[in-house]
Amino acid sequence: MGTVSFMRRLMTLVLLAALQVFFLNRIVLFGYVTPLFYIWMIVRFDSSMSRSGILLWAFFLGLAIDVFSGTPGLNAASATLLAMFQPGLLKLFVALDRHDVLVPGSDSMGGRQFAGYLLLMAAIHHTVYFILRSIPLGDWTVLALKVVFSVVLTFVFMIVAEQSFSNSGSKRS
Amino acid sequence: MRSLLDFIVRHSYVFLFVLLETLSLVLLFGFNDRQKEAFLTSANSLSGTLYEWRTGVEQYFGLRKENAVLVLENARLRSLIYDLSDSLDLTTERALSSDGVVVARVIDNSVRKDDNYITIDKGRRDGIAQGMGVYSSDGVVGIVMAAGRNYSVIMPVLNGNTSISCKVKGSDSFGFLEWYGGDPYVAQIKDMPYHSAVETGDTIVTTGFTSVFPENIPVGTVSNVERMKNGYTLRVHVNLAVDMSDLRWVYVHSRIRDAEIDELLRQVEE
Repeated sequence: MGTVSFMRRLMTLVLLAALQVFFLNRIVLFGYVTPLFYIWMIVRFDSSMSRSGILLWAFFLGLAIDVFSGTPGLNAASATLLAMFQPGLLKLFVALDRHDVLVPGSDSMGGRQFAGYLLLMAAIHHTVYFILRSIPLGDWTVLALKVVFSVVLTFVFMIVAEQSFSNSGSKRS
Repeated sequence: MRSLLDFIVRHSYVFLFVLLETLSLVLLFGFNDRQKEAFLTSANSLSGTLYEWRTGVEQYFGLRKENAVLVLENARLRSLIYDLSDSLDLTTERALSSDGVVVARVIDNSVRKDDNYITIDKGRRDGIAQGMGVYSSDGVVGIVMAAGRNYSVIMPVLNGNTSISCKVKGSDSFGFLEWYGGDPYVAQIKDMPYHSAVETGDTIVTTGFTSVFPENIPVGTVSNVERMKNGYTLRVHVNLAVDMSDLRWVYVHSRIRDAEIDELLRQVEE
């Protein structure tokens, strides 16, 4: 059913989780800001995927990162929540034809719409992530700063990824 | 009835969502400290091998710097021995043995989270147990939180739950070192008595009150002394002696806790 094979998805999951755990988690700008680039996988889920499929993939992606960074449930919870919103957000930015399979990207959606979609996705995920991470909540300003700057950084990573991979990956119809 | 079933099938993903989210939140909050330790240790026995592989590669590139650090430390230790050799009988076997100190390699580390953890490549098999003190050549690192068979998880100074008994070097003023997130180079001693003789630039060391750490291991230097509004206590800001983001080798103070002290403490607490 899916346009992308199970094995290919699994590979993406492993690669993104490894990238996050071994490299991105170690990036700490100004003591607060970290790119959470792994949501790229959830961002790119195409419009033909079943909602349950999206949820399961996102959950296991988050869980894989949790296991290797000693944060039980943190990434799983925020990734699952983002996955719940993903199909709706996609529809918010692009009118879907019933039969089209849309892979979110600047080619398929238009640059401005895609950027808006990325920002909103990152904002939802990072807000949940940093709130869960900072419980018991104390300093709201610091929390807001962490969210805003991490969203910007993740956004930059995703734009770079889009620019470098989209040409090779996308098939023009 | 049929339409109800239909509804449930069509919205099965909502149930799946609730299920997965609940599961995540149980993992996140349902864990009490003991379960969290279990998760951390088991997760680490799984990821330990991977970490070790990565650290192996990374450490290869840091050899030159590491050598330099070791040479410096050798020199410092040598000078200490010469200083002490008059007053101590260093020829006794006890003084020379390295009993009570386990050398371990840091295989995973973080400084950016609100609660950071360090993983080392030594565990119960090497004589490490919960509650032991960990320090590096520069100073205090943290306390062993959980010991697995081959790996252990350390709660470093940069963890909201860590509290280390320390004092101003050469004086009796003491307090507990804590960390409230943010800057990984600065921690605080709160609730130091108001009259304590402590000034900017003073050196902070461990007290040795508990057997977790030996006495006089460097903790850091005082960067700022804040007088609290309540008029009774000081808050002392400490520049940490150890750069937590650049830890490679650590020493675990595995001298067995004095059973008698433990027993007394327990009696007092009851």
